[in-house]
Amino acid sequence: MAKKIVIDPITRIEGHLRIDIDVEGGKVKNAWSSGQMFRGIEKILEGKHPNDAWFITQRFCGV
Amino acid sequence: MLLAHGLHDHTVHFYHLAALDWVDVVSALKADPKKAAQIAQSISDWPRNSVQEFKAVKEKIKGFVDKGRLGIFANGYWGHKAMKLPPEVNLLAVVHYLQALEYQRYATKAYAILGGKNPHVQNLCVGGVSTAIDPDDDSALNMEKLLEVKTLLDKIISFVHNVYLPDVAAVGSFYPEWFSIGGGVPNYLAAPDLYLDVNHSKSDLPGGTVVNNDVKTVKKIRNANDPYWRKNVAESIHHSWYKGAWIKHPWEEDTIPEYTEFDGKKKYTFVKAPRFKVGGKYVPMQVGPVSQVIVGFAQNHPLTMKWVGETLKRIPKQYRKPTILMSTLGRHAARAIRCAMLGDIAVKHWELLVNNIGKGDYSIATDFKYPDKEIRGVGFHEAPRGILSHWCIIEKGKIKKYQAVVPSTWNAGPRDGNNQRGPYEEALVGNPIADNNRPLEALRTVHSFDPCLACAIHLFDPKGHEINKVKVL
Repeated sequence: MAKKIVIDPITRIEGHLRIDIDVEGGKVKNAWSSGQMFRGIEKILEGKHPNDAWFITQRFCGV
Repeated sequence: MLLAHGLHDHTVHFYHLAALDWVDVVSALKADPKKAAQIAQSISDWPRNSVQEFKAVKEKIKGFVDKGRLGIFANGYWGHKAMKLPPEVNLLAVVHYLQALEYQRYATKAYAILGGKNPHVQNLCVGGVSTAIDPDDDSALNMEKLLEVKTLLDKIISFVHNVYLPDVAAVGSFYPEWFSIGGGVPNYLAAPDLYLDVNHSKSDLPGGTVVNNDVKTVKKIRNANDPYWRKNVAESIHHSWYKGAWIKHPWEEDTIPEYTEFDGKKKYTFVKAPRFKVGGKYVPMQVGPVSQVIVGFAQNHPLTMKWVGETLKRIPKQYRKPTILMSTLGRHAARAIRCAMLGDIAVKHWELLVNNIGKGDYSIATDFKYPDKEIRGVGFHEAPRGILSHWCIIEKGKIKKYQAVVPSTWNAGPRDGNNQRGPYEEALVGNPIADNNRPLEALRTVHSFDPCLACAIHLFDPKGHEINKVKVL
């Protein structure tokens, strides 16, 4: 029987990531990657002037 | 600006975000600083590999540990059985970790001089930049500022060529099994970038695709208008917390969140699953430095070949083949290779800019008027984490639809409608896990992609502030 390990959150990254793995016999059998946040920046952009898109989308990320 | 950003980002990723998966800081206390400095001097003639500097760093860590205050090193899987570096190599890596904090600052400063500040540059505009160029004006971009940029770039480039790249090869050589673990999805996608003409016909970074781990399958992508690129991208939400279950082209899709509980068989993430059509079938693609290097290698791109060669000759002979790039450690090696390439290109592009100014070309932007009718466009860029594309529909001068398909969406995305796993997921399968309570090996593979989730997902979870919590169910 596989053992389920949930790493939530993964650190030393930007943002919130959860990783689920099934481990059997000391090896990963299966894996799931899950992004734990919703931003909605694309929705904010609708109806805006295209010249403003660069500084709004810039706020996706500061890296 | 892009080059200063890339030089900064790759260096910080290796030393500050990923190296501690391989380097045991506490073990460095057992090191003989003299021996450690000798090892460092044997792999590079970097002037700051002195015995004095190595001794000073060892004393500094000893001070932290004796007081029980590890500070930035407080959380780590120290003493884990999968940590294999000898104490001297651990000390070497810690010394360079601290030096990297200093050198990354030079790259950031160069970026800020050109762009106003970092992060979130202030001088972009559609068609160019808003920073005036005038050699006779103190407040504009003039030769004095450009020379400062060059001095700063030279410092970070020297660090990348003499410290970062040799360190990746040295650390990697102690973990050769990781050259064949964690390859995962065998398909690679990269954007051409750093164009040399306004028509985007020639670029300094190569773009294209390679599939099935076979360099002979390489197909070039020339620019964002290339139909091979524009026609073949789609995103699936079969396993993502959005309304519906479909795979659609970025111009056709929508983004309506619909959260349901985590269910690995149904929906389990806010990240969509981008796919690329190859031979009539949508397949997952790895993106990032590994893709750029593999795509460049497959095209015999001279600058890629130069730095792949420089890197391979630093690792033991039996592992010296380009296929080692298709692995967890390979992603780190490829990032160092790409960073070294960016160093060479940064010098070239600085010279191109100065030569243009010398000829009296002070133009900074091309004006653009939006027509009333509906127009569709896509722009892309090879960001530090891989291909970044923004797909936009504009009507009557206003944005009608906007879709960003970003690097970490490609890599961190879930399964699609055909149950094909995304790149993180596929790369994890088969990884060894020595200790279920401290799954260091899984972190190694996930970190090797350089995850950046803020972009990948288009409200914060307050639970996200806990550190390194591993729940074993």
